[in-house]
Amino acid sequence: MEAVTELKSAYMEIFEAAAQAGGMLGERRRQAIDSFERLGFPTRRMEAWKHAKLDPLTRQVFPPAAPGGELSPAVVSRFADVAGAVRLVFVDGHFSSRHSDLSAAPAGVRVQSLDAALREDTDLVREQFARVVDVDGHAFAALNTAFSADGAVIDIADNVVMDAPVVVIFASSSQLAGHAAYPRILLRAGQGSEVRLVQQHLGDVDDTHLVAPVTELVLRDNSGVSLQHFQDDGPGAWHLGAISARVPRDARFALHTVSAGSRFARTDVQVDLVEPGADLRMNGLYMVDGKRYADYHTVVRHVTDHSQSQQLFKGILGGRGEAVFDGTIHVARDAQQTDSEQQNSNLLLNPMALAHSNPRLEIYADDVKCAHGSTVGELDEDAMFYLRSRGIGLDDAQALLTFAFANEVLDDMIEPALSGQARQRLLALLPGGASLEALE
Amino acid sequence: MALLEIKNLHAAVEGEEILRGINLSVDRGEVHAVMGPNGSGKSTLSKVLAGHDGYEVTGGQVLYDGKDLLDMEAEDRARLGVFLGFQYPVEIPGVANTYFLKAALNAIRKHRGEDELDAVAFLKRIRERASLVNMDENLLKRAVNEGFSGGEKKRNEIFQMAVLEPQLAILDETDSGLDIDALRIVAQGVNAMRDPDRAFLLITHYQRLLDHIEPDYVHVLVNGRIRQSGGKELAEELERSGYALFEENAA
Repeated sequence: MEAVTELKSAYMEIFEAAAQAGGMLGERRRQAIDSFERLGFPTRRMEAWKHAKLDPLTRQVFPPAAPGGELSPAVVSRFADVAGAVRLVFVDGHFSSRHSDLSAAPAGVRVQSLDAALREDTDLVREQFARVVDVDGHAFAALNTAFSADGAVIDIADNVVMDAPVVVIFASSSQLAGHAAYPRILLRAGQGSEVRLVQQHLGDVDDTHLVAPVTELVLRDNSGVSLQHFQDDGPGAWHLGAISARVPRDARFALHTVSAGSRFARTDVQVDLVEPGADLRMNGLYMVDGKRYADYHTVVRHVTDHSQSQQLFKGILGGRGEAVFDGTIHVARDAQQTDSEQQNSNLLLNPMALAHSNPRLEIYADDVKCAHGSTVGELDEDAMFYLRSRGIGLDDAQALLTFAFANEVLDDMIEPALSGQARQRLLALLPGGASLEALE
Repeated sequence: MALLEIKNLHAAVEGEEILRGINLSVDRGEVHAVMGPNGSGKSTLSKVLAGHDGYEVTGGQVLYDGKDLLDMEAEDRARLGVFLGFQYPVEIPGVANTYFLKAALNAIRKHRGEDELDAVAFLKRIRERASLVNMDENLLKRAVNEGFSGGEKKRNEIFQMAVLEPQLAILDETDSGLDIDALRIVAQGVNAMRDPDRAFLLITHYQRLLDHIEPDYVHVLVNGRIRQSGGKELAEELERSGYALFEENAA
């Protein structure tokens, strides 16, 4: 028996020792930790993880962070501040009523913490929690499902069109050093409803820690969901997240994502377009410098006919940064009239930076339109000379062109609070960025 | 002292010598036309003067206002008043024309120790100068040269020149590919900018430009050397005889 005990992972031991095993989600959490036991941490021998050097994450155990962490004023000042918005703030994965404001929720919109939803036994959690994300195939989604102490649960009734977005902020305190946070969002958009959701990750913790969020989005027919995802954790963060959405008939899902902070960041996006008229738009921008690693893995599945997807991911790589874009588009045999486009462009600011770009098309239908493209390049020399011949210095010219490269993605971010912060992050990355800021 | 003094300038591209000893002196207030057939080195001369990295100066000297021009970075030349109107203006998606001009103008003013123009003064200036070349205000808001027609791109060059007010304007085949209406507009912009303190170096393949901008001097550039210099009547002679005459002389 002792040998068997030894085979248990430290995470299973933590799970078994915690009280979370019971309750409404007890069985699902149990299945999730079993999945993790089966999967283990990904290794570089797996195709989808071959560039991910996870050693610092796997040679140490990160227990879930306790509640009660205090945010630094610098972190609080970076909250996405949107007038009239419902705001939920989580510190190290735990709901913080002090920083949150749920009073602005309009009629037909139910916003609560997962903890509160569990106590009320809401049907949304019972029916959908861990039903959209692939718990059995993603070790970090499995860990999150097993351990997520809290999260945001958002339920929007049919035909409710929200004016202001719902803002969900996952912030880190110094208590997260050496620990793990498991942020979670579950959103359901009723038929004909429209909602903008902001998911912001931020922190300033230097010591190694794990942030493993899961976002599950359930769209009903003809609904529209726009998720603005801003990943800007502290320098010590290992961010391994999953965003999963199921898009039915005539529903529209737009994802705008920016990856800027943390030591290591990977987000797996999975979108299933399951009925005719389903529409997906994805815009992503990732910035790496120093030794930062950023990674987007997207899987878009066109399951039936007449669905559309459009993806544009851009990377800006400086220092010895490394980035991966890996985008799978799967078009099932019955998915005729699929219209799908995927573009990934990378800008290398330093020859030591490394960009990997892997478009993968799996097309089993014969009457479809699928276009994809991928580029890795440096700044255009002719454009550099043109700017310099007008008196603009080398650094400023580089900053201006880099900014222009990224702007196409940032322009599409609807929430000014976030796109403004993303622009600042971008400018900070660039030599000459400060003088560019003065031009704004 | 002349504003621009080119002495025995040699330059090469990828090891091939293109300029083989250019001598040229341009003073303030003067308009010089450099004419020559394709491949004679006209564009190389303009790029070398503007500071393009892709051209290697293999000999000679260029003094600008008494300073060693070849020793300066492209942006420093521009800040001292050298302007190159591009033969093929570059499209820069994502950078609005006005934004770009503001960055350029501020860099130049800063270098001169002047304050940056405030938003109102800047807008007034660009509107005024845009009207010089009949430039639609919508083009100002668009990305630099993106989707512009050939004529619009050339007009944009003259417009930028009018905003930046250089001391020495080098216009590289600004007339090529323009229909007569566009050519007139471009010429009108240049003529409006003529000034006792400003010099122009018009680099052109076609004599037609000189019907609209009257030069003080005309130089014939063939095979990397200036074969002949003279007044505007030289352009007329060229129109009659073509470049072949000068090529034979060289042989």
